[in-house]
Amino acid sequence: MPYDAMNGESDEALLAAYAAGEQAAARALVQRLGPRAFGHAHRMLGDRAEAEDVAQEALLRLWRAAPGWREGEAKVSTWLYRVVSNLCIDRMRKRRGGAVDIDDVAEPADPAPGAEAALQGRAREGALQEALDALPMRQRQAVVLRHLEGLSNPEIAGIMDLGVRAVESLTARGRKALEGLLAGRRAELGYDDD
Amino acid sequence: MTMTDQRRKEEGTLASLFEAERQYAPVPSGDWMARMEALALEEQPAPRPAVPAAPAPRRRSGWREALRAFGGWPAVAGLAAACATGVWIGIASPETMTTLMSSDSSSLLSALDPASGFDYAMLGL
Repeated sequence: MPYDAMNGESDEALLAAYAAGEQAAARALVQRLGPRAFGHAHRMLGDRAEAEDVAQEALLRLWRAAPGWREGEAKVSTWLYRVVSNLCIDRMRKRRGGAVDIDDVAEPADPAPGAEAALQGRAREGALQEALDALPMRQRQAVVLRHLEGLSNPEIAGIMDLGVRAVESLTARGRKALEGLLAGRRAELGYDDD
Repeated sequence: MTMTDQRRKEEGTLASLFEAERQYAPVPSGDWMARMEALALEEQPAPRPAVPAAPAPRRRSGWREALRAFGGWPAVAGLAAACATGVWIGIASPETMTTLMSSDSSSLLSALDPASGFDYAMLGL
């Protein structure tokens, strides 16, 4: 099947085609899932190089799981978010247990908007990432999945192995903590008058 | 209320900040994407060989089934021979049988009877 024809296929159908040896499916899955895995890892870790490593490891696990994947057992995206999240939490635990890394600072992504908006966008992004980094791991995970990845609470519950109520509680506490952390920077970030 | 509306309501004063962050989503480099594609292809199982179509099951005719039920060709040959003998007996002239019965009927009967009069006497019959 040609690559373009695969754009309308579900992740699960693409994974089945990948396991059957269709090269176009491999390319389509990388284009679809690569940025998602990387983006989530970046938001969790705030570090580009680490996010690349984590996303690569998660994708590698997906490719190896593909031949034994049973249709209807799990959603590919949920599975991938879960693996990325767990790998990120492992790294964050190691980080906290080890020496402080001076490079552990959020690196801006590759936005290309113009002038002032770009500067403010980067300032906001940096500030939010710093505030996210200060949250407890599970709160950060829930807030990122809910408010940055845009997932539903039941999806997040599946990823985090929690009940929906627990997810709602985690995101609520995370938002409250973020508001406190960013309270003094509203004017600087240009969102107090939004 | 849609999921997006619900989420924006939850976000409250942080809504614009989250919205900005969603727009400036971290994007992987082209080099990393190319490496991921190469890795995916490297890990991909080999294409499955085309499976030849299974041959259609052979249809068994009713005659073959009947032949099998009778026990195959030898049994049917025996049956045919018995039938032919029966037909011959049926159409053959009755003189032959009469001759056989009248020529020496007692000796013929004793020849046909596997037990003799002596045997019956010994058995008390």
